[in-house]
Amino acid sequence: MHLRKFGVSILGAVLLTISSVTVADETCMSPYMAKIVGQEDYVYVWTLGVEGLGDEQDKLVTIDVNPKSKTYAKVVSVLSVGGRNEAHHSGLSDDRHYLWAGGLDSNKIFIFDVHSNPRKPTLHKVITDFVEKTGGIVGPHTFYALPGRIMVSGLSNNKDNGGRTGLAEYNSKGEFIATHWLPTDGDLRGAKKEGKFADGYGYDIRVQPRRNVMLTSSFTGWSNYMMDFGQMLQDGEAMKRFGNTMVVWDLHTRKPKKVIDVPGAPLEIRCAWGANNNYCFTTTALTSKIWLIYEDDNGEWQGKAVADIGDASKVPLPVDISITADDQGLWVDTFMDGKARYFDISDPFNPVQKFEEQIGSQVNMISQSWDGKRAYFSTSLLGNWDKTGEADEQWVKLYAWDENELALTHKWTIDFYKEKLGRAHQMRFGAYSLYTSKQNKGKEVTMLDK
Amino acid sequence: MSEQFFRKQTFKIYLLILPLVLSNQISFGNDEVNYSGPGDDKNGYDSRDYTTNSLSLEDRKGKKADIIKYVTIKQLGLPELKIPQNNKITREKIELGKKLFFDRRLSLNNTMSCGMCHVPEQGFTNNEIKTAVGIEGRSNLRNTPTLLNVAFNKFLFHDAREFSLENQVWQPVLAHSEMAMPSFGFTIKKLELIPGYKKLFNEAFPGEGINMETFGKAVASYERSLISGNSDFDKWYFGGNKNAVDENVKKGFEVFSGKGGCVSCHTVGKNEALFFDNKLHNTGIGYAESMGILKKIKTKVQLAPGEYVEVDNKIIKSVNQQKKNNDLGLYTITENPEHRWLFKTPTLRNISLTAPYMHNGIFSTLDDVIKFYDEGGFKNELLSPMIKKLDLTQEEKNNLKIFLKSLVGDNINILIADALSTPVGDLTKDDPNWANDTDMGYDN
Repeated sequence: MHLRKFGVSILGAVLLTISSVTVADETCMSPYMAKIVGQEDYVYVWTLGVEGLGDEQDKLVTIDVNPKSKTYAKVVSVLSVGGRNEAHHSGLSDDRHYLWAGGLDSNKIFIFDVHSNPRKPTLHKVITDFVEKTGGIVGPHTFYALPGRIMVSGLSNNKDNGGRTGLAEYNSKGEFIATHWLPTDGDLRGAKKEGKFADGYGYDIRVQPRRNVMLTSSFTGWSNYMMDFGQMLQDGEAMKRFGNTMVVWDLHTRKPKKVIDVPGAPLEIRCAWGANNNYCFTTTALTSKIWLIYEDDNGEWQGKAVADIGDASKVPLPVDISITADDQGLWVDTFMDGKARYFDISDPFNPVQKFEEQIGSQVNMISQSWDGKRAYFSTSLLGNWDKTGEADEQWVKLYAWDENELALTHKWTIDFYKEKLGRAHQMRFGAYSLYTSKQNKGKEVTMLDK
Repeated sequence: MSEQFFRKQTFKIYLLILPLVLSNQISFGNDEVNYSGPGDDKNGYDSRDYTTNSLSLEDRKGKKADIIKYVTIKQLGLPELKIPQNNKITREKIELGKKLFFDRRLSLNNTMSCGMCHVPEQGFTNNEIKTAVGIEGRSNLRNTPTLLNVAFNKFLFHDAREFSLENQVWQPVLAHSEMAMPSFGFTIKKLELIPGYKKLFNEAFPGEGINMETFGKAVASYERSLISGNSDFDKWYFGGNKNAVDENVKKGFEVFSGKGGCVSCHTVGKNEALFFDNKLHNTGIGYAESMGILKKIKTKVQLAPGEYVEVDNKIIKSVNQQKKNNDLGLYTITENPEHRWLFKTPTLRNISLTAPYMHNGIFSTLDDVIKFYDEGGFKNELLSPMIKKLDLTQEEKNNLKIFLKSLVGDNINILIADALSTPVGDLTKDDPNWANDTDMGYDN
């Protein structure tokens, strides 16, 4: 089976032109967003509060990451938000003025103003009625910018704390628009159930606007993601409650078109950037595989397991992944062994691991710069899933990546426990260059032309 | 409507239909939609041939029912219910209690309600996890017990620590590992500030309003109404309907009451059967868990339908944050060493809906439970003398399971549908919360 290659039709040419100008980010975010192609100034770390540590509550931690700054590699701002909300993922609005950050437990969504003073974000708004407005979605996970919109994927529901859930669509002001339920056997909502599963579970969102496609993946419900990880692994009933599906959606109508079997909890989705690369990758947390979700010669989206990640019997637990801007490489972090693995994906059907290095006793997220030269790593997976004892390191680390030599060079570490901050989870970039029409002190800027 | 008037009317109805009920000519349970069973069915997940059977959350609407009749009218197979003198049953109390039961705002961070663990379509327990998970994911040692027929319990909780539903209600609300409300007073204040509750409390408890007692009475009234008898077994055994069950059920009951000896604890009377004895017993499960007898070097972990790996327990231990506490049962309450590993006998009514089984959810299926008892439990110095090796044949085990499945009450679908028709209470912009700028009385 081969990928469908598209000729440059008139429509395609228009889309390609748009994509070459505006469609990009630091490799993993929405194509509808301005990107930082040069040096980022700040990394915003959505951080979980820990009982017995500091003020015990979740916070947005701002790290100065510009080497020219006097406060380089220092925490320059800490904004506590009240409660341990199970801080998890965050996403920027299409204009990158606001950072939306969710609590998988409390269901609160914190909207931070990151443009007025990128060095010191402020809390702009808190959405408290997410569950009520959406009709019962629990666990706001991915915050994905669409034009004038934020699409939020849920993980669970308020009926049984299981995995059936939906997507919630908000406008950029933070006003609720609509709920889009994931297809279940009881209501496929017009989607085709290709295989054996239509579990209705949710996790991540990514789009390929050129193909009018939105993809979602599937994890597990509140009872599991909030449960002690070790306890869950020993609970045979709980282990049955993981997602085994990905859903192909019509991006514009928000209608699910097809449910694809992807057994073993497909989590992060990363879509290729190339104009003719009609495919995305995901990794399955439990079965430890790289899956390719691609458009075939007949224009049908398919799923195929294309590589193994480590030894599944040792539960390496692939977590965050990051695709390079040229679609040639895929970073895969594996939580349990604390390793970052680099796969050559120049042939997307045959990824080959080229490199691995242990970053720490545990590692979860990776955020790489657009040029791929800098890779930031953080530790925390979930509040009750992180390791115990001395292995429970919590930090953000910066490494320099040399693609030719296949070498990671450690630059600095900020210890989040030593700083009394908490568990470091997702990292998003900020830059002054985003908020000025002029190129700023050598920082390369591409603005979304509206 | 006054309580006295209501009581007279229901008593008249009771007298009118009692003969019909006893002769099994009317049924409590008829409904066109089957709500019973998990919405996310994992039956067969151990096979690679598993196919999903997931229900739409949007279709989970249920149907309101007048469930007070289950309290006021005796059901076949169940004894007459004794209602506390100081908490007469009324529709207003049941409706208020039901609303509170499903209100997630009754937890510190607005995420947990009684109904998040006692999930209606899962037999008012939780089929999806062995032991309960509370607020912020905190671990609890025990399996969520069903609330069906809980009104007949002399003791409440697996370790018998409580004696009335009215008092029991508060413990999960205030427990650090369950709903974690900080105090009685804060809970009451929060309820007063949530729009609508003052009116409902005043209607249910005229002149009393929201306080510790009325809160307990309201929730207890709803829980008390979750009564489900009139099962196929009841229709045969107590109703005299020979065709209500097949021969395998009858043979299974023979094993149950004879060679199996199950009836010693899961008692069956001449005219009714609670299928529990209101006593506590040591089956050895608590002992075995405390002593680490069940531990293995590796744990079989499921990765996907029909796909398993054997995982070294060192790996599992590296992510096991839960503090290890042994569950010593009644001893936890009395500190009497003779009470170690004593746990309350659970009812067997509706047992096919309430997996997983035992106080710690250790067994996933009825087959597992039957096998355990057939092999004589786990030996220990305090093992109940009633637990002994049975040597049941496979046919006897099969029939025993078939019998157990005949104990589902015929109104179960109505109770579930009624529960599902109750909106889940979630935080709104009008509710007390710092992010809503609500003055809780602390602002200067």
